[in-house]
Amino acid sequence: MAAANELITADAIEATEFMDLSRKYRVTGVPKTIVNETIEIMGGLPEKMFVRAALDLPEDVTGTDIAT
Amino acid sequence: MPLLSAQDEATLKEHLSVITLPVQLVLFTQTIGGSESGDVARQILNEIASLNDKVTVVDKSFVLDTEDKAKYKVDKAPAIAILSDGIDTRMRMYGAPTGYEFVGLVEAIIVAGTGKIDLDPETMTWIQAVDKPTHIQVFSTPT
Repeated sequence: MAAANELITADAIEATEFMDLSRKYRVTGVPKTIVNETIEIMGGLPEKMFVRAALDLPEDVTGTDIAT
Repeated sequence: MPLLSAQDEATLKEHLSVITLPVQLVLFTQTIGGSESGDVARQILNEIASLNDKVTVVDKSFVLDTEDKAKYKVDKAPAIAILSDGIDTRMRMYGAPTGYEFVGLVEAIIVAGTGKIDLDPETMTWIQAVDKPTHIQVFSTPT
């Protein structure tokens, strides 16, 4: 996602190495994704579900809706 | 002693053969007060770089190289910033890239080295429409 848009930064963090951060974001299972400090995604999701959740897009959004 | 087996190396070398652009792996480590994972990260990156001429490792000090730290917005170590032909991809890895993280690192190197992003066209439309700074942090463990 970061490679596709200059406004996106993507960090992969080894949870056991950075325990303070893991505690801060209440990482009790992995993978856990935090977006802009507000969105939490637990577990691995299929591509579209993940991106939709990460970008906080409505369930019924389509590519055409975004583009226009 | 190498971390990658001869078989792993052969498989990885083939995966990396699609790379056409130079990839720089900028590694930030902390010698004093840092963890051993910095050394592990360095060894892994060097072993990967030895398999493809287009992949290079740039060693930086988390303590001394403050300009680079600021440039790549690195706030903890060990950290790896992945560059595609000198351009920041904004992909970072924190901690030693072992286990699942290793797979993610290789995928990130291939994206940086090919300029190709293997995502569904519709998903790409959503991502390209993002118009505000978005910081994604993915926590994982080696196993």
